[in-house]
Amino acid sequence: MTSLISLKQITKSFKSLRALDGIDLEVSPGITGLLGPNGAGKSTLIKMLLGLVQPTTGTASFLGFDVRKEGRQIRNRIGYMPEDDCYISGLSGVSAVQFSGCLSGIPKTESLRRAHEILDFCDMKQERYRMVDTYSTGMRQIIKFASAIVHDPEFLILDEPTSGLDPEEREKLLKRIRLLASQMGKSVLISTHILPDVQAICDDVVILSQGKVRLCEPLVTLNRTAEPSFRVRVLENMDPFVKALESSDVEVSKNPDGTLTVASPSPQLSETIWNAAHQSGVSIQSLIPARNSLEEVFLSTVADAGGTGEND
Amino acid sequence: MPINDVGYRSLKSKTESSLFQWLAICRIGVQLALKSKWVKRIMLAAWLPVTYWAAGFFFVEKAIVADQLSAMGQGVDLNQLTSLALTESITSRFSIFPGVDDLQEVSRTGDIPQIRNTVWRWMLMTFFRYPQAILILFLVGFIAPSLISQDIRSRAFLLYFSRPISRLEYIFGKICVPSIFIILITTLPALSLYIIALLMSPDISTLPQTWDIPMRIIIATFGLVIPTSAVALMLSSLTQESRFANFSWFAVWGLGHGAWLTIVLATSLQMGLPLFDPQVMHSETVSNWSAISLYNCLGSLQSYIFGFETFAESWRGIVALFGITTFSMTILYRRVSSPM
Repeated sequence: MTSLISLKQITKSFKSLRALDGIDLEVSPGITGLLGPNGAGKSTLIKMLLGLVQPTTGTASFLGFDVRKEGRQIRNRIGYMPEDDCYISGLSGVSAVQFSGCLSGIPKTESLRRAHEILDFCDMKQERYRMVDTYSTGMRQIIKFASAIVHDPEFLILDEPTSGLDPEEREKLLKRIRLLASQMGKSVLISTHILPDVQAICDDVVILSQGKVRLCEPLVTLNRTAEPSFRVRVLENMDPFVKALESSDVEVSKNPDGTLTVASPSPQLSETIWNAAHQSGVSIQSLIPARNSLEEVFLSTVADAGGTGEND
Repeated sequence: MPINDVGYRSLKSKTESSLFQWLAICRIGVQLALKSKWVKRIMLAAWLPVTYWAAGFFFVEKAIVADQLSAMGQGVDLNQLTSLALTESITSRFSIFPGVDDLQEVSRTGDIPQIRNTVWRWMLMTFFRYPQAILILFLVGFIAPSLISQDIRSRAFLLYFSRPISRLEYIFGKICVPSIFIILITTLPALSLYIIALLMSPDISTLPQTWDIPMRIIIATFGLVIPTSAVALMLSSLTQESRFANFSWFAVWGLGHGAWLTIVLATSLQMGLPLFDPQVMHSETVSNWSAISLYNCLGSLQSYIFGFETFAESWRGIVALFGITTFSMTILYRRVSSPM
C-alpha cells in the first residue's frame, strides 16, 4: 500500500528548541491516530504537513507532493480542523462554512449549496443561521469540522476534533469520521489526547514524544498481548481459583475491575483455566482474550522514551 | 433524518482558478464592514459634497458659455470675462488653497479650453483633498482596524492559511476592502462630477479638452488608496484589539497634523501675521515641515497628480508617503506570517 505521508529524517528547530528530531514516518490510507504528550511536536508536525512551516532538514512528501515546495497543492487537497477556537467574527454558521468553501476555490453559489449540504450531514439545523460568535464550544467544533470537509478533501487532518463535545455529539462526530473513511475513501489523521476516540475509530497509531516517533503500528497489533492471555471473571471468591492457577504454572494478576488476567506461553491456557475452576469449585462468569489497552501502550511507550506520559 | 439530508456526497463542481481566492477574502470583508451603521452613514455623507461641487460646475460652465457667446459677437475683452470674475472670486475666498495662482493666470489668457481644463482640475482636486480626504479618515478608521486584528484575536489565521492561499493573497484581499470603500467615496463621485460637468458643457468638443481628467482621477485614487490602506492594515496587524488599532489610526493622523498646525501657529506668531495667512502658509518653515502630516502628504500628492504642484514642490510629501507605505507593507507582511 502506498504511503500518503512519507517523512525521512525530518527535523524542525526553533532557535535552540528541536521540535521534531529526525522523524521517519510512513502513513498509509485509513484513519491514523497521532498521540503524544504536550510538547511532543504534534502541532509542529501538522503545520509542517500543511506547508505552513518548513522542515529544517530532511525530506517530506504528503499526498505525493513535496511539503517544502508544493504546500499550495497539498492545502488544496486536504481539510484541516484546528484545535484552537478559531472563527470569523460576524458570520453566521452557514456563511462561515460557505466562506471556507470559497477560500478553497468553490464558486460562491455552489459553495452556499454545499455548505447547507454539509451542515445537514453534520446535523446542524436552524442554528446555522445564528452568528458563530454566539455558538457554544461544541457548535463551533461542528462548524470547524464542516469547514474542513466542505471542499471534499482527499485527506483530513483533525486536531482534537471531539474536545468540547458532549458524549452524544462526540459519538456522532466519530461516526461521521468513520463514515467518511469507510464509505467515501477519505484518509484521516487525528491528533488527540482522548485515547478512547483513537481506540474507537483508528486503524493505525503514531506516538510522538520529545520530537521523535516512538511507535507507529496498526491498532490491532498494539492490542495484541505479548503472550496468550485471558481476562477471567468468576462468580465466587477468587482466592482458591488464583491458588489453583498459580499451582498450574501460569501467571495471574488481579485487575482493579475485579477480573483476573491469566497469561502463559502454553497453547492449552484455556484448558488450564477451566481445570483450575473445576478444582477450586468456582464458576467462571466470563473468559475473554485479554487485550492491551491503548492507555497502557501509550504510557509505556512514553515512559520508555523518558517522557512524562501526561495525557490530559 | 431530515428529508433534505442527503448524507455526504462527493463534490462534483470544478473549483475556480486559485488566482481569485483573494476575492472571497475581500467580499467577506466588505460584507462585514457594511454591517456597521456608521459605515453606511459615512458612505451616504460622502455623496453630499457632490451636489455642492455639481453646482460649482454649473456656475463655471455658465460663465464659460457666457464668455464664448460674448466673444462670438464682439471679440474678447479679457477684462470683461465672466470666468475671470468667477476665478477671482474663488481665489479671493480660497487664497490658501493650492493652485489658485494657476487659476488666476489661466483666467487672464482668455483661452477657453485651457480655462475649462484648469478650473475642472482644480475643482476635482479640492473635492479629493478636502471633503473626501476627511471622510476617508473616518471611513477607513471604522473599517480597517478590525480587518486583521480580529483575525489574530479569533485565530482565524488558521482558517485562511490551511487553505490554498498565500500571505500575499491574504494581504491583497484585505487591502481591497478599504480600497473598495475609498473608491466608492472618491473615484465614483469624482467621475460622476466629471460626467455632470460634461453634460453641462455646450458641446462634445469639451471631451478632448478635458480627456486627461478621468486619468488624473484614477491615478489620484491609487495615490489615496495604497498609503491609507497600508497604514491602516499595518496598525491592525499590530494588535489583537481593534480599538487600539482604531485609536492608533486617528492618532497617526491627528498627531502629525496637530504638530504641523503647531508649526503654522508658531510661524504666524513669529511673522506677526494671522493664522493661515497665505504668507504664513507659503513660508519656507511651514512648507518644509508639511510632510510630518499624513494629510498634507496625501494633499501634496493630489496637487501633483492634478497638475497644481511640480515635483520639486511636492517631493517631500511624495517621498514621505512612499516611505510610510513601504514601511507599513513590510511590517504587515512580517506580522501576517508571525502567527504561523
